[in-house]
Amino acid sequence: MTDGPLIVQSDKTLLLEIDHERAQDCRKAIAPFAELERSPEHIHTYRLTPLGLWNARAAGYDAEQVVDTLLTYSRYAVPHALLIDVAETMARYGRLRLEKHPAHGLVLSSTDRPVLEEVLRAKKIKPMLGERVDDATVIVHPSERGNLKQALVKIGWPAEDHAGYVDGEAHAIDLVEDGWALRDYQRDAVDSFWHGGSGVVVLPCGAGKTIVGAGAMAQARATTLILVTNTVSARQWKAELLKRTTLTEDEIGEYSGAVKEIRPVTIATYQVLTTRRKGAYPHLDLLDARDWGLIVYDEVHLLPAPIFRMTADLQARRRIGLTATLVREDGRESDVFSLIGPKRYDAPWKDIEAQGWIAPADCVEVRVTLPDGERLAYATAEAEDRYRLASCTRVKTRVAQELVAQHRGQPTLVIGQYLDQLDELATALGAPVITGDTTVKERERLFEGFRTGEIELLVVSKVANFSVDLPGAEVAIQVSGSFGSRQEEAQRLGRLLRPGSGGKTARFYTVVARDTVDADFAQNRQRFLAEQGYAYRIVDAEDLPA
Amino acid sequence: MSTAPPRSLAEQLRSWPDDRLAALLRQRPDLGVPAPQDSTQLASRAAARPSVLRMLDQLDRLHLTVLEAVVVLGAGCTGAQVREVVHAAPTAVDDAVRHLLAVALLWGDEDHLRPISILGDLLGPLAAGAAHAPRRTPDRVRELLAEISPQARAMLEHVEASGLVGAVEQADRRVTPERARTPVEELLARALLTPRDHRHVTVPPDVAIVLRGGRTTRDEVTGPPPLATSERDRALVDRAAAGAAGEFTQRVELLLETWGATPPAALRSGGLGVRDLRAATALLGAPEEVTVLAIEVAAAADLLAIGATDDLDEAWLPTDAFDAWRAQDTAQRWSRLAHAWLESPRLAAAVGTKDGRGRTLNPLAEGAERSWAVDTRREVLTALAALPDGRVLAATTGAASLVTHLEWRRPRRPTGREELVAATLAEAAALGVVALGGAAVHGAALLEGADAAAAALAPLLPPPVDHVLIQADLTAVAPGPLEHELATKLATLADVESRGGATVYRFDAGSIRRAFDAGWSAEEVHTFIAEASRTPVPQPLVYLVDDVSRRFGTVRVGAATAFVRSDDEHALAELVHDPRTAALRLRRIAPTVVITDAPTDVLLATLRDVGVAPVLEASDGTVRLARRDTQRARTPRRRTSPGVAQARDAARVSAVVTAVRAGDRAVAARPTTATTSSPAAVLSQLRDAVESGRSVWIGYTDNEGGVSERVVEPRRVDGGWLTAHDARSDDTRAFALHRITAVRPL
Repeated sequence: MTDGPLIVQSDKTLLLEIDHERAQDCRKAIAPFAELERSPEHIHTYRLTPLGLWNARAAGYDAEQVVDTLLTYSRYAVPHALLIDVAETMARYGRLRLEKHPAHGLVLSSTDRPVLEEVLRAKKIKPMLGERVDDATVIVHPSERGNLKQALVKIGWPAEDHAGYVDGEAHAIDLVEDGWALRDYQRDAVDSFWHGGSGVVVLPCGAGKTIVGAGAMAQARATTLILVTNTVSARQWKAELLKRTTLTEDEIGEYSGAVKEIRPVTIATYQVLTTRRKGAYPHLDLLDARDWGLIVYDEVHLLPAPIFRMTADLQARRRIGLTATLVREDGRESDVFSLIGPKRYDAPWKDIEAQGWIAPADCVEVRVTLPDGERLAYATAEAEDRYRLASCTRVKTRVAQELVAQHRGQPTLVIGQYLDQLDELATALGAPVITGDTTVKERERLFEGFRTGEIELLVVSKVANFSVDLPGAEVAIQVSGSFGSRQEEAQRLGRLLRPGSGGKTARFYTVVARDTVDADFAQNRQRFLAEQGYAYRIVDAEDLPA
Repeated sequence: MSTAPPRSLAEQLRSWPDDRLAALLRQRPDLGVPAPQDSTQLASRAAARPSVLRMLDQLDRLHLTVLEAVVVLGAGCTGAQVREVVHAAPTAVDDAVRHLLAVALLWGDEDHLRPISILGDLLGPLAAGAAHAPRRTPDRVRELLAEISPQARAMLEHVEASGLVGAVEQADRRVTPERARTPVEELLARALLTPRDHRHVTVPPDVAIVLRGGRTTRDEVTGPPPLATSERDRALVDRAAAGAAGEFTQRVELLLETWGATPPAALRSGGLGVRDLRAATALLGAPEEVTVLAIEVAAAADLLAIGATDDLDEAWLPTDAFDAWRAQDTAQRWSRLAHAWLESPRLAAAVGTKDGRGRTLNPLAEGAERSWAVDTRREVLTALAALPDGRVLAATTGAASLVTHLEWRRPRRPTGREELVAATLAEAAALGVVALGGAAVHGAALLEGADAAAAALAPLLPPPVDHVLIQADLTAVAPGPLEHELATKLATLADVESRGGATVYRFDAGSIRRAFDAGWSAEEVHTFIAEASRTPVPQPLVYLVDDVSRRFGTVRVGAATAFVRSDDEHALAELVHDPRTAALRLRRIAPTVVITDAPTDVLLATLRDVGVAPVLEASDGTVRLARRDTQRARTPRRRTSPGVAQARDAARVSAVVTAVRAGDRAVAARPTTATTSSPAAVLSQLRDAVESGRSVWIGYTDNEGGVSERVVEPRRVDGGWLTAHDARSDDTRAFALHRITAVRPL
């Protein structure tokens, strides 16, 4: 029996005791093949999944190394069945290879005849393949490169893509590191991406994902298409790129509902790409408008399904996905893996926080009790109305007022889901409100005001969830959300994690109605936070310091 | 010992000293049950086919080859002759001969060996041909071989290589060497092939031995073929096996614990249903084979048996022994399971396969017994334990070499050995008896007994831990096996999320409530958590416990038969304290509500007696006016309609008449002289009657010993049974021939 930091469970979870002296080494050793599932304060849980193991294979690890790592760090005997499973799963990767054939173009080949036969007989895969070249090789329709990879992952025979990338149109891009420099983890992220070809970088909000994107562009030195969630985010990307790289205003184009520019670096929104007119996507041509050398997907966890389909056609181009969390509420993580690429880099939030790159956060759940009248209304309400009723209780407004008063002088965001509630809050707090209806111009004006400190309190709807850079936010008060969405929780917490002035501890309040579905959903979200290593406290509204 | 060889096995046994006889009985226990009357009977049993077969099945290839050689050489051969023809080291042959003498498959002595006569039929073609074969010297055989054509030689060698027997038309034709035209005739004429029957020829032993280079076998049979091995650290094997052992034990415990609360029904056939198996598989999170093994082993270890549930249904339940077992430490628990597995005749791998009638075999159902299972397990384990330190069975070729090894150890084993060995290895690995292809130290110790195995395993297991780590996401991680009491308490308070070397527990409102239901107080929960946790208890957990405790029991439920309510609290207070209402056992649950177990009519009557004027409330709260119900009896129902009864009577009468008439005829036909026919006469008379189709009179003794006389029309006589139409019951029946005392044709 060794005294390792790792306990390997038969259900394929790995428990890492982080106070152990060898925990850091162990974390580094298992990170390439195990998915970090939760990272609360004492024991981190990793999981071995086929995707994770194939990721590792793609990154050049073999089963022997994985098994050896497990045996080296494991405290107890490693279940034999698990080791066999690891070896078998990893052996499935790379039996099939996508390659460039000098005569036939893109081909699928295999040295393992039975596997190839099995794959050729799969109903979903047959239409993507062309003529048989010989026993071990079959032609692939070039347009199906992505779809084929996706389908192969689904049937458990992931293909190794050796067909390579087109370089794209060269375009000089360099980082301008004046007064700042790529942080170590950002450099690591760029390097792992570049060596892997394509893939996803997972970093918490505020950890500088945009810079990782810029770093990747500087590596590629080619024309780049950047896909982002919305216009505001597009503008922020542009501003950031101008600040951090040699790119000039004229080289960066915006392709959105309002402006349609195509330049060497083009920033497009998901929305404009997925706009349908008469059953067609009129803006899809953008993807072929230039010979892009790199495609950047911002917030890859929000990538809409049509973009997935388009991405399938872009397999010959380098792709980088950026996200704070690979959790997709629709469970399509495997599509991200097969179409954009495997996870190339991630780091526990707490580690980055410990390095001082993101602000520490203090999460507090405030429980309010529904007044008797509302309790009765809640009890008799239809199931689908209950969440709204519980979320929008008037008591929350009062609590929000108290909290705002308590943090007067600190930039504060009040975040909610329901517009009526937001309006009511805005009135009660005397603060401007930003919703989906607010014009971009007005939004930018308010954000700018918030950034400069002119405005210290904003009431925002879920439009502010994504890609809004609010450097100064120190306090967030969440009054309602989209049910138990963990993704949303991560994004909202992310609002606070940008290091503020003087490394102040950010406060994240969630106001929750006790004994209702609101509390149940809150528990779900909180569990996610706790799993990210953010311990939280629960206080009763009555106990708040007045 | 006399120098003259004994004249029979019986005589030899009579001359043996007691200890030798005792050794024989230990080797062949079937000879002693029931105790034989004398040596003659013992000798006759020892030479009986079933007993000899039993002994042969336990012999390895060397012993069987030696035995075969003795049969081929014929009674009276010497040890030296045997050594010459057996392809093995002379000392090994001598040892084998000595063993065969000791188990009474051979008798006589070294200079004069005699096989038990039945061996000729049981040992295969070489021995079978020995009895009537020509015995020629090797030189003579070689001369004959030199005479024949190359085609004949090729044919002979082909027959020799393919099992010594070949099919030929008219195998027993007579030919002389001069007249032989075909290769077969050349061989037959020189008795290089001898006819076995009309259509088969066989290579006589003397020829076979010459063809095989002067030996009875081409291959050397001194010892078992070596196992294919590879190198593996001994400690790693032990560790991996100990891990598997701990895990298997945990699984059995979890399974039985769950089944104790929600037992799966026992099928009528005694097995376990497929659905329950699937549920168990999901519960254990193990492959189905492992689940089946856990179930089978638990039953074999007497921890699981069929019992009656509270509803008196037959179900699979943990036994009393389970409670004692659970209190033991892991090593002891495991050794009980592993030992039960080793000694169980049931093969878990047979579950799920189809039996002869195409039915799938359920877990725990009859039909998974394999007579070889125990022996195979012991052999496999012995073979693995005998590997030198640091060597284990090679990953790919190892299993095949083990099969070959077992083929040498037990050549007469029936088919399916590959599957049996593979299943045994897989089961042993799941149990943690072997790992990575090698027998663990505690696995090897299992051969010496359960206690030795437990002692060997104990130091390999992680020591139990007495604390958990509680985290803000409301999980508690036990970084090792927990002490029994702590584990039990924690299991009440939290749900297990992940098992293995460590256990992950999750607290939620449901699990905390469960603890309150079990009688814990919030204070106890707090204290327990604080004591069990090595790290500070996170605030959300403290809050959760308080939150559940706040809501626990706010609504209370009880049973009552009737209630009394009144806005006048004083009136109710009077009622409760009035001695005349004591029998009602009134209980006040709110200032204005009193309940009782007495039914409403009693309650009403008593209250009226006390002088209260109660009003009865209906279930919807409205007042029901009391009105005395007039009473009625239930209309009786006639049992059956008259028509049906008449028909029944008629049928009964006709049956009686038939019987009576038949009885009359039988009496009339009774032989005048009370002679009992001999069985042979009975049979021939019945056969005649069947042929001629006539009725006969028979005297018959039934099951209970009652004697009856019947007239029957015989239809068929076979298998000791007479099938005949019986006039008495007007039905076709079967009569046991031996019960028919007399027959007389009518």
